Amino acid sequence: MDISATRRRILKGTAAAAGLLALGPEKAAGEKNVWADPRNFQDTAPSRLDTDVKVVHSVCLGCNARCGNRAVVRGGRLLKYSGNPYHPYNSLGHPIDYKTPVEETLGLSSPVCGKAHDAPNYVYNPYRVIKPLKRAGKRGSGKFQPVEWDQMIREIAEGGRLFAHIGEDREVPGLKDLDSDDPIDPEAPELGPKRNGFVFMTGRLQTGRKAVINRFIKEAFGSKNRIGHTDICGIGFRMGNYTLTEKKQWELKADPWEAEYILVFGANIYEALQPGVNTYGAAVARRNSLGEVKFSIVDPRAQNASAHAEDWIPIKPGQDGAFAMGMIRWMIENKKYNRDYLAAPNSKAALDLGHTCYSNATHLVIEDTSHANHRRFLRIGDLDPGAPRKRKEAYVVLSAEDGSPLAFDLLKEAILDKETRVRDAAGKEINVKTVFRAMKKGVMEHSLDEYAAFSGVPRAQIEKTASEFSSHGIRAAVCQYHGAGNYVSGTYAAYAVAVLNVLVGSIESRGGYLTSGGDVAKWKKGLYDLKDFPGKRKPKGVMISREKSAYEKSSEYRRKEAATGSGYPSKRPWFTFTRGGLSVETINGIDQQYPYRCQVLFHYFYNSVYSTPGGYRFKETLKDTDKVPLYVSIDTGVSESNIFADYIVPDVTYPEGHYGWISPHAPALRFTGFRTPCIEPLTGETADRRPFSLETFLIDLAETLGLPGFGEKAVSGRDGKLHSFHRAEDFYLKGFANIADNAGIPRASAEEAAFVEKNYPVARFKDILPDDQWRQTCYALARGGIFKKYNEVFEDQKFKYGIQRVVLYNEDLATARNSLTGEYFPGTLKYVPPKDSAGNIIEEIDKDYPFYLISHKMNVHTQSRSNSHRWAMEIFPENFVVMNEKDAEENGISDGDLVRLVSRSNRAGIEGKVKVSGLVRRACLGVSFHYGHTQLGASRLFLRDGEGVFLGGRNVVDRDGLIPDPKLGAGINPNMVSRLDENLANTPMIDVQAGIPDFSSTRVKVIKA
Amino acid sequence: MAAAGLSGEDKAEAVGPHKKWAMIIDLNRCTGCQSCVIACKGRNRTAPGEFNIRILFKEEGHYPDSRVIFTPVQCNQCEDPPCVAACPAGAIFKLACGIVVTDWDKCQGLGNCVVTCPYNARFQDSRYGNKVDKCDFCLAKLEKGLEPACVEACPSRARLFGDINAPSGEFAEYLKVAQLIVRKPELNTRPRVTYVGSGHGNGGVL
Repeated sequence: MDISATRRRILKGTAAAAGLLALGPEKAAGEKNVWADPRNFQDTAPSRLDTDVKVVHSVCLGCNARCGNRAVVRGGRLLKYSGNPYHPYNSLGHPIDYKTPVEETLGLSSPVCGKAHDAPNYVYNPYRVIKPLKRAGKRGSGKFQPVEWDQMIREIAEGGRLFAHIGEDREVPGLKDLDSDDPIDPEAPELGPKRNGFVFMTGRLQTGRKAVINRFIKEAFGSKNRIGHTDICGIGFRMGNYTLTEKKQWELKADPWEAEYILVFGANIYEALQPGVNTYGAAVARRNSLGEVKFSIVDPRAQNASAHAEDWIPIKPGQDGAFAMGMIRWMIENKKYNRDYLAAPNSKAALDLGHTCYSNATHLVIEDTSHANHRRFLRIGDLDPGAPRKRKEAYVVLSAEDGSPLAFDLLKEAILDKETRVRDAAGKEINVKTVFRAMKKGVMEHSLDEYAAFSGVPRAQIEKTASEFSSHGIRAAVCQYHGAGNYVSGTYAAYAVAVLNVLVGSIESRGGYLTSGGDVAKWKKGLYDLKDFPGKRKPKGVMISREKSAYEKSSEYRRKEAATGSGYPSKRPWFTFTRGGLSVETINGIDQQYPYRCQVLFHYFYNSVYSTPGGYRFKETLKDTDKVPLYVSIDTGVSESNIFADYIVPDVTYPEGHYGWISPHAPALRFTGFRTPCIEPLTGETADRRPFSLETFLIDLAETLGLPGFGEKAVSGRDGKLHSFHRAEDFYLKGFANIADNAGIPRASAEEAAFVEKNYPVARFKDILPDDQWRQTCYALARGGIFKKYNEVFEDQKFKYGIQRVVLYNEDLATARNSLTGEYFPGTLKYVPPKDSAGNIIEEIDKDYPFYLISHKMNVHTQSRSNSHRWAMEIFPENFVVMNEKDAEENGISDGDLVRLVSRSNRAGIEGKVKVSGLVRRACLGVSFHYGHTQLGASRLFLRDGEGVFLGGRNVVDRDGLIPDPKLGAGINPNMVSRLDENLANTPMIDVQAGIPDFSSTRVKVIKA
Repeated sequence: MAAAGLSGEDKAEAVGPHKKWAMIIDLNRCTGCQSCVIACKGRNRTAPGEFNIRILFKEEGHYPDSRVIFTPVQCNQCEDPPCVAACPAGAIFKLACGIVVTDWDKCQGLGNCVVTCPYNARFQDSRYGNKVDKCDFCLAKLEKGLEPACVEACPSRARLFGDINAPSGEFAEYLKVAQLIVRKPELNTRPRVTYVGSGHGNGGVL
């Protein structure tokens, strides 16, 4: 090898370096101060202090955690990320002062996790699709052909015999066919207009792009069906919080910065979570090392956090609720709950005790089945119909002094635990209970020993944990996530877990169980009106997932009731009380064409087949041109789902786009991160030089269809002008300008404006904003957003941005019914084991399958799309079936053995390699997500002229099409054997109350391969 | 906690004789997140499948009294590095600032140092004639006044880095009070990468 002189390193600033000049290179080399440094041969990345680089502060999207990042770009190529020191997620919650000039920060360290460090491999993934594709064979055949952008837009807008050339003799509906206010089902007008036949499903989506998609599908087109994926993300634990907060919030977590004790339920704090490994787990670990916080883990899998946990409590999957209920029972019986706090019947009374949020523990619930407001709270109007209208709504409590029923807002204290009768104005007696009593009755239905048996945790451990949890005052809280409730019946598990925080009074208290501090300023209104526009539509009807709609109001119900005397059961469940975002039940509905047919399906950045437990069932749905007449996918690659698509629209990755204004997750912090690109798009471009991307696609479709809110004169400004929306930046820069203006941040200095203009690709579009607005926006762009400090969100112990009320009994839940049986759902805590839609306890009916199969995320991976993360794949080339050491011994299985996992729903099963471990509960198998791909480069695709289609060009394409890389398909995907529901057309199993998908109840046999 | 970079003075003489760079890894803080490993990879672009740093993983105890133990490992920049003597070509030497480096002018890719290193910290780079690579504390970043990639990337600040001759901040506090342990102390290599054992588990290093 030729080693040129430039690769030799000369030590600077040393006597020897001076000697080098004096004595010449040979002598100096003898003193070993000149040598050939390996780094000078390797492709070492530059640092942000190199002179030939650009530096951009932005927001990561390696996962949904929302950390900041700082890109180093050279020659237009993204080479390195680090963290953003202004961002609390990159600084353990405590960033540098927001006013610090940018040039003073470039030398500062700021961490970001491995997923961000792997981003260059994601961006430059040779298997990325950069040109539009049209299907050229049967759905799923892997046959595609490149298609011109304009032709694709026209065909999707207009429909027609689009696949006649491959022998499909059918008229494909275009969007224009659905652009109609006629009812989608004349027999059921409540379902809404034909527009609802357009279903737009979104995977990873954050504000910014979410605003544009909603503007397109809901506000311009008028369909109800923009459906996210909250369900597979983790609707279960969210339902607990959603119930607790009466729909106001769904994400609350223990404060990792000031809690003394954190009880972790199914939250993988060192390997995942939002805030991510870079923030939450890191803060907990650091504070744990300083003796400031202790934590215990309730999880069938020990997780990496077991390294520092006080206890690992290996719970049986699906039984978090039993464990929490056992704790609650112990706390009630041992009087280890915050009685004074619970007895405060209103905000004012709670505030006097130092709490910003009160609970309704003392409020009364009507027990009489004959009462018109049965299952609801007793209100003043129930006692005194003549009360002034405003007072009628007031809740009623029992005075602590004499037990008389009074309006809740009049007292400082009320009776907590009582069942009694009150008289209304007419003298009629009403049976009532305090909410606390109602909850307690639910809890007391089972003994501690029973809860121990249900949860598979010894009674002594439940007692120990309850004692610990209740001995830190308001500095103890729960951190529950995906694992705590993402299974059928999960609402009741997660609700019990959430209530633990209320019992100790830590809700919305510093160091306690907190919501997010939210964004710093609004984007929709201000300098520009991004909310309203002429011709804006209001979507009507019922979502195809039936979320947030009452079955009892449907024509189906009325017809059945008229015919049989009962409107039940519905064909598939409806979900009156749910957080929503039900992707699984959306596709299940599409499959069953219920409650109406889907005509056009869009998938954005969403791999349903791969990412859904039981998603293998969706292959049948997506393959079927009757069930999905037109299927369009907007994505960066060919996945297990869009292998069935009719069109694949290439999109940019987040370092090239994904503009957004990004607010924090719970807990506590308050900020708005600004995501702008750090490099130019790598996709192809339109004739007028806009990149192929989500935004360009939707804008062009909207303009072709003549939809309002896009194109010329689409956005009104405070300047009285109508502005166009013809490219992504037209919208996003106005959003940034609104936020900057509403937040009242300073104008950037000349140096900082120059920093943005030199380094940031978005600066090419600065003329969209008047100079003054641009300068103000630059202040935030230069810093990657607008950030508040942890201390700024509290006033003493009180969280300033929290909710004001939580409930231990939720009347909306209590008055919702199971649409398959007509039964009411319990309105307060109740032990409900995981059941299928017919009410069968899964553990019982699947007892012949002895192992539970559970999944988890890994610290280096980002959901379904990180097989392109080359360095992560170098560290962990495959995943394993992790089996308990005692089970392995009993079954004669050793490390490295190949086994087949077979479930009731997938008898062919999947094959994986065993890792024997003490870190998973007995009779449970832990299999990580992220592996077992069959697409995204793992299989051959058939297309001619593929060279220009994939980013890797000739490196990944031969005469026949895409050349697969088997490494990208390593390992197994646990979702491929998940439980389907035989009672509901064998579709992936969901919970009948909230539509929760099931990640915990699947049971398998292990067969040695 | 805003992470500081290196101070201005450090930048000027990053590799000079007045410096003694050292790293302390607090296992009470390491979450095994691999951020350091991938950050290092992204910075140094080591050979495929090879890493300048790794995180060793071990299960301690038996179910249900079991937990994970992590130990991040890399070149220990030993005071008495066995690799130096193992190289017949004389390619390995120690800089005045304490960092052990390999001169790729002289390295012949023999690999003696790879097997000699008791810490398994060295590997051959097949892309460059099997010449040997390993961690150098990101020397080039130090010269810019920046911390090593792994130190910067560590979210929980488990990696404390600094100059033993003029310690500052948390690094200095650790030097004063922490019980520092090393890997394979019996070999007397005197590593410059030291550890604080975890208060959970057996307290040792892998």
